[in-house]
Amino acid sequence: MKHASMTKSVFFASLLSASMVCSADSILIRNADIYNATGMSAQTHLYIDNGVIRALGDSAPTSADMIIEGRGMSVTAGLFNAATHIGTVEVGQIEQTVDFYSDNHAVTASLKLADAFNPRSTLIPHNRVHGLSHAIIMPELGFNTMESGSGSLFAGQVALVQLGNQPKVINDSVAVAVDYSEAGISQVGNSRAAGLAQLRQALTDAQHFAANKAAAMAGNHPDYVLSYADLEALGPVVTGTKPLLVTTHRASDISNILQLAADYNLTLILSGATEAWMLAEQIASAGVPVIIDPINNLPISYDSLGARIDSAKLLAEAGVSMLFTGMDWHSTHNAYLVRQSAGNAVANGLDKLAAIAAMTTNPAKLFGAQVSGTVTIGEVADLVLWGGDPLEMTSEAKLVIIDGEVIPMQSRSLQLRDRYYKRLQALQQ
Amino acid sequence: MTTNLFKPAALMAALVMAGCDQSTDSTAEIFLPNKNPFPSTYAVPANPAFALVNANILTGDGAEMAGTDLLIEGGKIIAMGVDLELPEGTHTVNMAGQWLTPGLIDVHSHMGVYPAPATSNHDDGNEMTAPVTAQVWAEHSVWPEDPQFEKALAGGVTTLQILPGSGNLIGGRGITLKNIPALTVQGMKFPDAPYSLKMACGENPKGYYGSLGMLPSTRMGNMAGYRAAWIEATDYKKSWDDYIADANAGEDVEAPTRDLGLETLAGVLEGDIRIHNHCYKVDEMAQMIDMAKEFGYSIAAFHHAVEGYKAAPMLAKENICAVMWADWWGFKQEAFDMVRENIALVDYAKACAVIHSDDAIQVQRLNQEVAKAMSAGNRMGLDISAGQAIRWATQNAAQSLGLEEKIGTLAVGKNADIVLWTKHPMSIYSLAQKVWIDGHLRFDRNDKSVQPTSDFNLGIINPGATRP
Repeated sequence: MKHASMTKSVFFASLLSASMVCSADSILIRNADIYNATGMSAQTHLYIDNGVIRALGDSAPTSADMIIEGRGMSVTAGLFNAATHIGTVEVGQIEQTVDFYSDNHAVTASLKLADAFNPRSTLIPHNRVHGLSHAIIMPELGFNTMESGSGSLFAGQVALVQLGNQPKVINDSVAVAVDYSEAGISQVGNSRAAGLAQLRQALTDAQHFAANKAAAMAGNHPDYVLSYADLEALGPVVTGTKPLLVTTHRASDISNILQLAADYNLTLILSGATEAWMLAEQIASAGVPVIIDPINNLPISYDSLGARIDSAKLLAEAGVSMLFTGMDWHSTHNAYLVRQSAGNAVANGLDKLAAIAAMTTNPAKLFGAQVSGTVTIGEVADLVLWGGDPLEMTSEAKLVIIDGEVIPMQSRSLQLRDRYYKRLQALQQ
Repeated sequence: MTTNLFKPAALMAALVMAGCDQSTDSTAEIFLPNKNPFPSTYAVPANPAFALVNANILTGDGAEMAGTDLLIEGGKIIAMGVDLELPEGTHTVNMAGQWLTPGLIDVHSHMGVYPAPATSNHDDGNEMTAPVTAQVWAEHSVWPEDPQFEKALAGGVTTLQILPGSGNLIGGRGITLKNIPALTVQGMKFPDAPYSLKMACGENPKGYYGSLGMLPSTRMGNMAGYRAAWIEATDYKKSWDDYIADANAGEDVEAPTRDLGLETLAGVLEGDIRIHNHCYKVDEMAQMIDMAKEFGYSIAAFHHAVEGYKAAPMLAKENICAVMWADWWGFKQEAFDMVRENIALVDYAKACAVIHSDDAIQVQRLNQEVAKAMSAGNRMGLDISAGQAIRWATQNAAQSLGLEEKIGTLAVGKNADIVLWTKHPMSIYSLAQKVWIDGHLRFDRNDKSVQPTSDFNLGIINPGATRP
């Protein structure tokens, strides 16, 4: 392939057969529209060498190991989905493969979901061939099989994973997750008030434990509601160095959580946040980022009555920093469909660049990824070449580079497809 | 609608008998259950004739037509073509090259029976108190004020098949609705649409009833459960056939006692009620097909056919539709072998490929689901046009419901169920701008007075306001 300028069709054929380009190779993508959160550069050359973006625009070299004519195509940074269970579930109803929640309510904030991450999950290649380069993996509360009210709102620790050729945990604890939705509240006695009381008690205990650790470990402490390990895990949360990531939907619940964060000097991330648009100004001025799936517009529960299809637009207008998940409950097996949620947000008024930022640079920055979530000179190439507009469902990922490495377009699903397509072709002849 | 239970021939005989013998006391009167005890109260609203001119059209049967005019009267398309000669004074709306499609059809919805909010008071989709509940009818669970209906309408969905859930081997009757606001389900019922019967293969029934320690706890238990039901239904049908024959022969016989469940199953055996069968896997589909042959009925469609691409030649041969998602997988083992090219491959094998939502989020954008499935097929080189792809939500969907003579295509004589899109229907940026059902404008994105909103939405967030 050396120095061969490839036509579109040659390029597609080559992706199927010789898709592996080693990261030392140089790649030139010509004339693609390059999208960053800060702007779109139309018909721009992009040159990658040794896994790093070396040139953009007319300064790009004219030769490379692989040259792709990208006219009519687009490039974005690799996509992030900010709320998934990738690598911690294989088959949803085969409980032995499901690790993102536990029925053991003795383990709360100390549960590290990263411990359960399986880099050989079939979900990883399936998602990365469609442009997903990173995911936040989020623990959930288990269903309480014990007496009512004996559960906890702390689901455990959230991690950032990268889905490249060697999938890995980038940061095993980027936040501690709390479920203050109606589902979570059902685990702690079915009252929002009881849930908030439990949260305050746990945070107060964590503060006490952090300030009196030696004595506490020796047994000299008031009754704690959580174990030592859980209190230890909350240490960085009560000092504000690690975010508390709270899933909650109703405006009044969001308001209470904002107040709780202020009272305890917490760094807060909101998730779910169906009615966040009602408090958009307040959330923006508190500098609290929000993880939302902008496609959710149904009043599916009484804490989501305010669901609306233009909530991402309203949050953006108020200056709230957004991170996207989705699409709907497919945010794990088809986490790459976050792009569809983003596209629908744009169809309903959100700026297209803001939508792309919510899947790239915003999560990359907030969670401390090793890539920037941008397509910028000097950055590691973590990007996707799309067959057309980056948010259209008719634009397929043509080339995916994660953390500097080209991803082979291979997955279990594609193998099944190829096996049966051949059989059907044979029948038609 | 006829009111007899069984064959038209039997009805003819019954009517003749009744007619001949009205005046005499000795006649055996034939009692036949009313087949339509909850009749549709929907009527096509009266509208003056109007024309949509200069539209680009995905006709729904595979074709694309540019710069075409449609003339609509009495709820039907009465003329269609380029530069139609319109009667003088016809109200004309210039589409200016915007795209039209037929109204989209979702053949697998639980709206109304699993409404929003999803609270236990409205958890009415699955009668999971016995593995065979052929006696229940989904229409009796539909809450017409479900605020999800209007969102599907805003996505261009004009016809919905509402099905019971898949917890049972035989879950009950489904119903086809027009997606219009109404106080009662009767007001939404698609007049004269065939009834359907929901059946379910695989993990759901055996998983739930197995956990209760009862049949079915295995896939072989599933099969035994269906077959036992069909044996009963065959006997039941015979008891009514015998009754009708005997009565027609002048014998003084009593009608058999009605059994609602067996009445529905007998309706399937008669060919009046169409089987819509939740069935993911090719091996189970093959068994369901053999069982249908064993008892002499036919299957309209396999739903959630994740392995449709494996079954496609068999489905083409047996004339059974595969009803599929674009990309759902992995929530169960039976949904593990998903390929995004599923719908495209079923179509390629010349079987009837249908897209469905089973989901109140995705029903709002079936066009995007079609676009994803089309794009996956095109990536592997199938060269599927938008016109061909939209059939999955239009003509083929109508065929699976037995309504292909009425809906699913834009053609002369068809119901004027039409969607005007803001952009090309395969674009993620495209929204339904106007939606007509039977020629009546039911949704207009630019006119609040034509945006139906459920009673539920009034004042629920703020007094005086309506939830958007």
